[in-house]
Amino acid sequence: MSEPEKNEKKTAAEKADAKPPFDWSTLFVFPEKIGWRDHALGGISAATYVGILIVTARTLGFARDESFYFSAGQSYAHWIELLMHDSARALDKSVVDGVWGQNHEHPSLMKILFGLSNLYFHEKWELFKDASTAFRFPGMVMSGMAVWVTYLFGARVFSRRAGFVAAVLLATMPQLFYNAHLACFDAPIMAMWLLAVYIYYRSVQEGGLGWAIAFGIVYGLTLDTKHNAWILPLVFIPHAFWVQRFAIAKNLKLGRLVIPTNLVTMAVLGPLVLYALWPWLWSDTITRIQEWVEFHTHHVYYNMEFLGKNYYEPPSPPGYMPLLVIATVPGITMLLFFIGIFDRLRALVLRFAASFKKENAQPGASRAEDARKPARHAEADVLIFLAFSAPLAVFLLPATPIFGGTKHWLPAYPFLAMLAGHGFDLAAAKADVAFRKVRSWNADKIEIAHAIMMALVFVAPIAETAHSHPFGIGAYVPTVGGFAGGADLGLNRQFWGYTTQSVGPWLEKNAPRNARVFIHDTTGDAWNRMEAEGRIRGDLRAAGSPGDADFALVQHELHMNEVDDQIWVAYGHTSPAYVLTQDGVPFVSVYRRK
Amino acid sequence: MQGPEKATKWLKSWAFAAVPLVGLVELGAHVAEVRGVTPDSDWTAARDSVKAAARPEDLIAFAPRWVDPVGREKFGRELATIEREAPGDVSRFPRAFEVSIRGKHWPEFETWKRDDEKHFGAVTVTTFENPGYRPTLTDLVSNLDGEHAAVSHVDASGEAACAWNIGAPLTGNLGFGPAIPSHRFECGGTRVGVSVVADMDYVPHRCIYVPLSGSTPIRITFKDVTFGDVLHGNHGLYVEAERMRTGAPVSISFSVGEEHIGRAEHRDGESWKGFEFSTGDLKGQKGDLVAEISSSGSRRMYCFEAITR
Repeated sequence: MSEPEKNEKKTAAEKADAKPPFDWSTLFVFPEKIGWRDHALGGISAATYVGILIVTARTLGFARDESFYFSAGQSYAHWIELLMHDSARALDKSVVDGVWGQNHEHPSLMKILFGLSNLYFHEKWELFKDASTAFRFPGMVMSGMAVWVTYLFGARVFSRRAGFVAAVLLATMPQLFYNAHLACFDAPIMAMWLLAVYIYYRSVQEGGLGWAIAFGIVYGLTLDTKHNAWILPLVFIPHAFWVQRFAIAKNLKLGRLVIPTNLVTMAVLGPLVLYALWPWLWSDTITRIQEWVEFHTHHVYYNMEFLGKNYYEPPSPPGYMPLLVIATVPGITMLLFFIGIFDRLRALVLRFAASFKKENAQPGASRAEDARKPARHAEADVLIFLAFSAPLAVFLLPATPIFGGTKHWLPAYPFLAMLAGHGFDLAAAKADVAFRKVRSWNADKIEIAHAIMMALVFVAPIAETAHSHPFGIGAYVPTVGGFAGGADLGLNRQFWGYTTQSVGPWLEKNAPRNARVFIHDTTGDAWNRMEAEGRIRGDLRAAGSPGDADFALVQHELHMNEVDDQIWVAYGHTSPAYVLTQDGVPFVSVYRRK
Repeated sequence: MQGPEKATKWLKSWAFAAVPLVGLVELGAHVAEVRGVTPDSDWTAARDSVKAAARPEDLIAFAPRWVDPVGREKFGRELATIEREAPGDVSRFPRAFEVSIRGKHWPEFETWKRDDEKHFGAVTVTTFENPGYRPTLTDLVSNLDGEHAAVSHVDASGEAACAWNIGAPLTGNLGFGPAIPSHRFECGGTRVGVSVVADMDYVPHRCIYVPLSGSTPIRITFKDVTFGDVLHGNHGLYVEAERMRTGAPVSISFSVGEEHIGRAEHRDGESWKGFEFSTGDLKGQKGDLVAEISSSGSRRMYCFEAITR
């Protein structure tokens, strides 16, 4: 072979060996199986949400309970530091009880995270200028995680489109958006509830010990987040037994009782994780668990307005939860939810009816196997219904106090959003058929039409959520007429005294130096932190009663009217110098003594 | 395919459009709510109109009730007085100016005669005439001071006078109860003065606050009261003192000299409750009216008001 021939052959071989240039567009092509691209999309959605929460955090004042958790978190974090440097002293019973006795009516996980976040992200690394943002950061991350998992869960059960719509509709629930900012437990328990259900679902789908152990650990973390987790076994136990019913029945006939593995890990690992992470339980464990349970099962009935009436004792009104859901979740989300849930309920009923007929028609051996395949989606449906219903059902019981409003059933919302995502999927499928019949529309135009349809679903919830800030607790959706409609209906406007910061600019301009301000429902710690972070003018002094103050604030709630009455008598007039409103609805009155 | 069938099929195939349409309608409703806030200029115009027309004895009421803080702010302390904001009841006003937004009204005026209605943008001012109005001759609440009244507490050792003092008002946070006013009668731990009490619906009422802490009755003598046909009044307890319905009843009895005018009893849960006694025998006369308030219970944060007419 001549040299030129050789070279030619070599070049041809090199050409053949050369890899084609990497096609970056393949990164954005989602294969059928849920994978890293989905995690990337979920993660980006979560990061975006957390970013928005961080950016808007400074305009939101501190809730009463946050001030308690800031303090507890700080103590817990210092104890962890002590544990690392002087473990013997840290583990001394008196030290453990002294530190962990603080705010022991709630478990430790979030307060540990609040405290560590402050310690590292504010005090040591100065990532956040405001200590409060560092305290709040773990709660925000939890809320972001909820957006992420909602996408993943929705994508696995229904479709990626359903998952994405669900994630956005969850993030754009105004009252959730408020709670997602806080160093409290309500958004975190929603996230952990969702994660526990998701990991349980994976353990059912995938089987194996790994997922079951992961589920047990996650359930323990959920227990250590908030006591809502006590209800979760009512979701998992019936579901697990129903999923395993054939195997359980078969074993029972053989005289064996088989408990699903994931239930075993839940029962064993769950309490162990709770115990390990909550040093308060390390002594007098049973007594302290009893105390924890009794605190919440015999909780004081705080005042709460509903339909113009102040509720302060049982029985709670049965219409409270349904009306509040409709009044606070954007209307389009509710419409899609109803479409989605109707479809899944119908499918479930049809499936059960069909399997019942089949069970009666066929002999036993192949029956279980046959029923298993079509039951695959039914398992997810039933799980979603249970996980959605359990947090809400509690509020149909007359003995359940209604204070706290929507925040106490937030764990239902990711599932509401998933069903709404499915509702959108159904509408989009119908739209696709209709769009394809329009002769002048090519594929691009159809894509654009789909994008517009999705945008029209998102735009109202986004606008409502943006407008609700920083008055999230009093935010009502257009279904009931917005803020003013909620006031007309006599629905609660706020609690926790968190709106004080919003009158800071007025006080800044109008209060003389060193003026005393009656801070009403705001705690002294919350006020001090607002001053320390420059949210309220630093020379103003908090006063414990209107009579001791130059200015008096009233955060408007029905039962707070009595504070107005006191101020009228003490100051000799009824006219606030300033009323902070949102859409014309009063949130805070500022009275000047004269 | 027939026309109607075709239309039905078309409608079914495009039913999905309801979803984006609802989204759009919701957005429109949201924008309308945000832009529909009553502007300051409307409040100012309404205030100027009411200020020009209202007499001191007229009521000014803001509807719906939740807008009351805004109404008080915009109308100012001269118009939104404590007497108007916290009346014993509306029957003592000859006329009412109802300042309303969003088409809301006070149910109390349903039986009153609508005299006039003016619109100032989003604010409507309706003037109502009270068909059953009878002029007030003496208002006991307004007469509770060192010059026109005397307060004493009565126990086994006899009647001890309470001194008329002026001090700092006593207030607190939620749960404190009615403020103890700066101008008050004091004897031992008891302080009697004009305050404002929240009833069980959290409606404010200006009244004579008589917190009873034991079984010792409190006696209030109103001097030179002008009598008419009736002694009309209301009484109640601070909401948190009566809402659990576990307290002992509180009674108030009125007399003039040896003549017993009437006795009213207030039981927990009755909220703000009216009473009326005939004083026809005393009509046209002046005299000292004695009110004696008693209860066997503790934390009886009682308040009453009355007028003669």
